[in-house]
Amino acid sequence: MNTEPWVQRARNYATSFLWSRKAQKYKMVMLGRNLSDGLLAKMVIYVLLSIVAYLYLQPLLYMISTMLKTVSDLLDPSVKWIPRVVTWENLTKAYKGLQYPEALRNTALIALSCSIVQVLICSMTGYALARLAVPFKGLITALVLLTFLIPPQVIIIPLYVIFSKLGLLNTLFVFLVPAIFGQGLKGALFILIFRQFFRAQPPSLEEAAKLDGASAARLYFRIMLPLAQSACLVVFLFSFIWYWNMYYEPSMFLAKGFTPLSIRLDQLEDVLNPSLLGSKDLVSNPVTEGTKMGAAFLIILPPLVIFMFLQRWFITGIERTGIVE
Amino acid sequence: MSSVPDFKRKAAQYHLKRYGVGLLFMLPWIIGFCVFVAIPIGWSMFMSLHKVAVVPGGFKYTWLGLQNYRDAFLKDNVFPIELITYFQEMILMVPIIVIFALLISLLLNQQFPGRFVYRALFFLPVIFATGQVLSELFTQGAGDIPFLDQYNLEPVVRQYVGGELAKTVMEVLGRVVLILWYSGVQILIFIAGFQTISPSIYEAVRIDGASPWESFWKITLPASVPFISLNVLYTIIDLFTFPLNPVLKHIKDNMFKVDTGYGYASALAWIYFGFIFVLLALVTGLFSRSMRLKGGRP
Repeated sequence: MNTEPWVQRARNYATSFLWSRKAQKYKMVMLGRNLSDGLLAKMVIYVLLSIVAYLYLQPLLYMISTMLKTVSDLLDPSVKWIPRVVTWENLTKAYKGLQYPEALRNTALIALSCSIVQVLICSMTGYALARLAVPFKGLITALVLLTFLIPPQVIIIPLYVIFSKLGLLNTLFVFLVPAIFGQGLKGALFILIFRQFFRAQPPSLEEAAKLDGASAARLYFRIMLPLAQSACLVVFLFSFIWYWNMYYEPSMFLAKGFTPLSIRLDQLEDVLNPSLLGSKDLVSNPVTEGTKMGAAFLIILPPLVIFMFLQRWFITGIERTGIVE
Repeated sequence: MSSVPDFKRKAAQYHLKRYGVGLLFMLPWIIGFCVFVAIPIGWSMFMSLHKVAVVPGGFKYTWLGLQNYRDAFLKDNVFPIELITYFQEMILMVPIIVIFALLISLLLNQQFPGRFVYRALFFLPVIFATGQVLSELFTQGAGDIPFLDQYNLEPVVRQYVGGELAKTVMEVLGRVVLILWYSGVQILIFIAGFQTISPSIYEAVRIDGASPWESFWKITLPASVPFISLNVLYTIIDLFTFPLNPVLKHIKDNMFKVDTGYGYASALAWIYFGFIFVLLALVTGLFSRSMRLKGGRP
């Protein structure tokens, strides 16, 4: 091979570099020992996740951007994401239209009281199904599953009649009473979560407490319930969110008077334009679009703030609860 | 020597002692089940066999037998079509949601800084992806993927899918982001599920020279079959109450119509439940069979 000497030198240098320890280190950093360790793989993960997250959160961004637009910006097709003039008028209008403080109080009252009760009752039921002697346990577990599967539409009319006979309609108790009796919103799911959790606990704890002479109630409230903290948090938050957002049931049971936010959002169009009453189609009305998005934002704001503070415990809690066993 | 009544009393005492605490813990649920589930279910079945008219002070029932159920398929020209369309959509939506959740959770399961932020982001929709806010976004047409219009995909879909099904496909694609919002819980279930696979298996396989690609197909995927089945079931149940579900809207409309009324609406709801139940049973059967064939976990 009659190559120039500098090519030879360069080649030598390149091979010695490739096998040097430094290069190995670079390679290690870029590609990693595992597929997921290297910098390159991490970049790919970041990019993929960011793109998907953008697509995923786009409706939320759309909500916020629409909320801040004036009507002329909304009608202008050249304005897509960033409004020409930022206006807070939509928010104030939505605030008034929803009668926010009152509706917020109603919603918070329902969501808080019902989810606390649900944590208590569902954990008790789940504990009984997991650990205590209950006659026909298999049958009862199957019935719990059944209550989870039955769509609410099937039983909503008889329920309406029962609630009206009991005089519960349009009060807080229309949701609180079923929650007390273990039939709250998606209560069956929570019972199954608690059952799963308690089954995974070692029985020696209970045996020790029993030997020390603890009664069943004491055993449960002093030992088992504190043990189930992470499961309780998960159930509480899910229950809170679902009560906060529920629409179908309150649209039947809380139609007037004591109305939560979701119902008021539905009625917002009529409140804003009393003249259009009755002609409510699925066609969106550009004049009220911004206000409606503002109202939607006001509705999701409180759970969003709560979630921001609790998300870390929440997500690790789910991993630890063993919901999926 | 104890007499027979004495023995009986002792047996009762024994049973009370044995079952008493458990029954006490279950008592709220049992009462609740009877009042708020069992009675309504029976009542609604009773109603579905009658023509129910609202008269002052209660209901007036006229026996119809299975007439309501027959009408739902033979007379009603909206319900069967909506049912079929909805099931078509569901068959498309369930795999989309579950596969999306699987992919995202695979990515989120990797170790990288900032993982918590992304996990929180993908869980965010669970907070507001139910109810009125979601349907408000639907009506305003938010939630389609931007490249659907940009690259004009509709003719392509029409060409490959063809016929009536293309319309369904387009409808699903048109709100795919909001459908994906239903995958928050599923992502969590998958992530939690991956924690149950022991890392030493991956290590052993790597030493044997398997690439990450192979270890995904040979280890991660088979081990997550139970979670996939759980997620499919959860998704189906979750989609029952999808806020823009046309079937539910039809049922609600019929409830307040004078000529059909509660009886007919109940019959429709029962038919709907029957279909869902069959679907759930099919899925459960399928998955439990595939798990048994692979000798996986029960």
